[in-house]
Amino acid sequence: MTVTLTNPLRVGLRQERVVSPQCLVIFGASGDLTSRKLVPALFELFRQRRLPTEFAVLGCARRPWSDEEFRGHMAEALGDLIHEHRGAWDQFAAGLFYEPVDLQQPEHLVRLAQRLEVIDRHRATRNNRTFYLSVSPKFYGSGCSALAAAGLLSDPERSRVVIEKPFGRDYGSAQELNRIVQTSAKESQVFRIDHYLGKETVQNILVLRFANTIFEPIWNRNYIASVEITAAETVGVEERAGYYESSGALRDMVQNHLTQMLALTTMEAPGRFDAEAIRNEKAKVLQSARLADELEPWNCCVRGQYGPGGTARRPLTGYRQEPGVNPNSTTETYVAMKLFIDNWRWQGVPFYLRTGKRLPKRMSEVVLTFREAPVHLFDAAGGSPTANQLILRIQPDEGAGFRFEVKSPGSGMRSRPVDMHFSYDESFGEPSDEGYVRLLADAMLGDPTLFTRGDEVEAAWRLYTPLLELIEDSPWQLPVHPYEARTWGPAAADNLLGRDGLMWRRP
Amino acid sequence: MSPQLTLQAPVALPPPELTDYLEKLWSQDLESASGASTFTLLVWQPAWVEQHLVRTGRLDGPVTGVVRTELLEAAREAVLTCDLPLSISPLSPKLAWALGQQSGDHAIEDLRGQHIDAAISAFQPRRLITLAPTLNHGQPLETLVAAYCPLPGEGTTAACGDVVVLRGDFGALQQGLQLLQPLVPADLPCWVWWNGSLDEAPELLEALAEPGRRLVIDTALGTPRRCLDLLESCVGSGQPVNDLNWLRQRAWRESLAMVFDPPSRRDALNHVVQLDIDVEGTHPVQGLLLAAWLADRLGWHWVESNAAAEEGISAEFERNDGIPVQFHLTPVPVGVPSSHPGSVVGLRLICQPPGSQPLCVILCSESGGCMRLEAGGMARMELAEEVVPMAHATDEWEMARLLGGGHDSTNPLLAAAAPLAAKLLPNA
Repeated sequence: MTVTLTNPLRVGLRQERVVSPQCLVIFGASGDLTSRKLVPALFELFRQRRLPTEFAVLGCARRPWSDEEFRGHMAEALGDLIHEHRGAWDQFAAGLFYEPVDLQQPEHLVRLAQRLEVIDRHRATRNNRTFYLSVSPKFYGSGCSALAAAGLLSDPERSRVVIEKPFGRDYGSAQELNRIVQTSAKESQVFRIDHYLGKETVQNILVLRFANTIFEPIWNRNYIASVEITAAETVGVEERAGYYESSGALRDMVQNHLTQMLALTTMEAPGRFDAEAIRNEKAKVLQSARLADELEPWNCCVRGQYGPGGTARRPLTGYRQEPGVNPNSTTETYVAMKLFIDNWRWQGVPFYLRTGKRLPKRMSEVVLTFREAPVHLFDAAGGSPTANQLILRIQPDEGAGFRFEVKSPGSGMRSRPVDMHFSYDESFGEPSDEGYVRLLADAMLGDPTLFTRGDEVEAAWRLYTPLLELIEDSPWQLPVHPYEARTWGPAAADNLLGRDGLMWRRP
Repeated sequence: MSPQLTLQAPVALPPPELTDYLEKLWSQDLESASGASTFTLLVWQPAWVEQHLVRTGRLDGPVTGVVRTELLEAAREAVLTCDLPLSISPLSPKLAWALGQQSGDHAIEDLRGQHIDAAISAFQPRRLITLAPTLNHGQPLETLVAAYCPLPGEGTTAACGDVVVLRGDFGALQQGLQLLQPLVPADLPCWVWWNGSLDEAPELLEALAEPGRRLVIDTALGTPRRCLDLLESCVGSGQPVNDLNWLRQRAWRESLAMVFDPPSRRDALNHVVQLDIDVEGTHPVQGLLLAAWLADRLGWHWVESNAAAEEGISAEFERNDGIPVQFHLTPVPVGVPSSHPGSVVGLRLICQPPGSQPLCVILCSESGGCMRLEAGGMARMELAEEVVPMAHATDEWEMARLLGGGHDSTNPLLAAAAPLAAKLLPNA
């Protein structure tokens, strides 16, 4: 393995905004997300000097932990990271507190408000609060209502609420949840999180498109033949069977992460770089998107479920054999679909989305395939010239690639494709932050650019409503095709593109 | 002009009434508006050159303290008529002193502290206090107060602030210091922007820069020794300090880092043997800070410094492997100097990795070009050349960036570079 030297001149060059004094209140603080993602992200912000001294984290959950127990659990979860930065951890941990709270108990919220006042006095956090709902989705609405009833969201300048995904189960429930949330707080106080938007490479889609003059003129139906968006995972359902059984790949990945990548890839240029302008454009393009065949969705969508696979030495269990999964489950672990966007820029361009578990490779990417040259003047080494492709690699090996034809060496004039690569790791001498670092900081700074707005979420759910209804009402019309673990999904997904004379890119 | 709405014309008050008036303003007159829970900005705003230019009739008033094109043009003309070297920066204290020797009694309409740059007012300071020293000796202390609210934008609510101006001669302002303490809200961060030469009024600067306040200075203004010693002492004492001169150098640090981003180049950083930095005019501080940053990042140890020909500086570092690194800082005369004395205009770094081709990195400014640094036998080296974009940001914009950043401690890179830069400057 090649070890790349770090660039010592890069260290510390970034000077990011410091979060204003405040208390971050995490509901669901005894859960996995808090110890695995949120507290590590906060500690990273602390080490980057982006948290002020007037800052506190108040963990809330039903377990009767003390402050010290909460600190101990978090320290345990961070493990080696703390040993490397013991002094910093001690300072950071002094700002960690815990309060046993059940959001459904009004008297608990009274106690919470009192505790926050004490923290305000001791840590000078000035009544500024960010409430992070890392709880079961069924408590998002009631949690917001409870916070509002306790008067904790009454000041729109000083309080905000962060809501994890999934935001609703379908269009109707998302509408209802939006109604409850927006009754409890102003839209400017609500931060619906999608951790994909915290990834540098997802944000880079905007920069690539709108900071370079060479891409935008060809970023339309005149030059682009098709677009593929893939998010592939090698892991199975792991510990999440309970949740996954009721959601499936469509709700877990497509409605949020893949749709956000779709929106950023296809939106119009915003008039200015601010949250509302960007979110307006994303909402607009999602409102123009539709399934390729809304009347007969089974023609444009394939569902799959991984079966057993692997090797004799390392066998992999199938989805139905996973602990906590119904042995007759029809939940999809793979989904592929074809969409169109009915606007001037994208009319007629097919968008193929796919995601799945237990695929051969962990990767997310957006692939734009350009139209072929109108006339083939040269022989191609592969029979016919390969269409140009722009590949935006979201993870891993973050970066971009461009595939184009060049002359093959020799006396003739044969062409063959070559790849030009840009790699974040190689071009920048420092690693990117974990998505939650960026998103937590933005939420606490009150910057909603990388969070989804209410109408965006609804537009995303509306887009998939015909599929969700079909799965609900007549699932036999959208059968779940089995596929062997560690393969690229069911053959039916290949046929989805095959009918258009295309093939999925094999990364 | 800034996007702000003055709720009232500034009111001149007897100094003892100031605190009571502000209390009444917020408890009664502005009861319906919320006070911005942001920060206090305390500005030392002498604007000596501007005051003299208006006094001598070279510039139309009013005096605002905000650097504008007409001011720079008038100052550049004044450099010629005052018989000063062409390379003198238009806002240099030397020009202010020369203008001070000239007669003139044009009336000065003084609006310092009342013109708030849009970039700064966008962050809604809760209280903006300006100390405005006047040219007239014996001028008693005047105090002016105004409340303002930003123009409400889409989705924003009016969070208001107020403006306080203390005006008078040095002595009067010194007396006015006792008024300041109750004017600075204890529960909000306080930034102190010393927007003048670091040579003047050291006792006043010391009084303003109380522990915990976030000091902003400009080490391009003042004698180099004083600038670097002050910076070093702030860092040493734990006073949060920011330096506009350091911030203006951002593009040079970024450009140099960019050259070494490709992994194939990174090893060369371990084999630097020579560093040359060109600065505009004779003020060396920005160049020294850049060299000190590089030395700190690459783990070089300072060995010695010497004054070189034509006000240049030469120094020697030692790398971790014991190999010496030669450093030369060369002042370069320019026809139209920028408003910031001593801006870096060129950098050359020579690396000699054993067993491979030497690498010469040349960074040059858009204004100066690379020719001077390209001379001297680099034909056998791999050449990496970059043009560093000119910094067009105003001091107010840099200040706004700092306010927006909100850091309550000194940038660690500056904290590491400041003591080393102070060592690099040879003692007179």
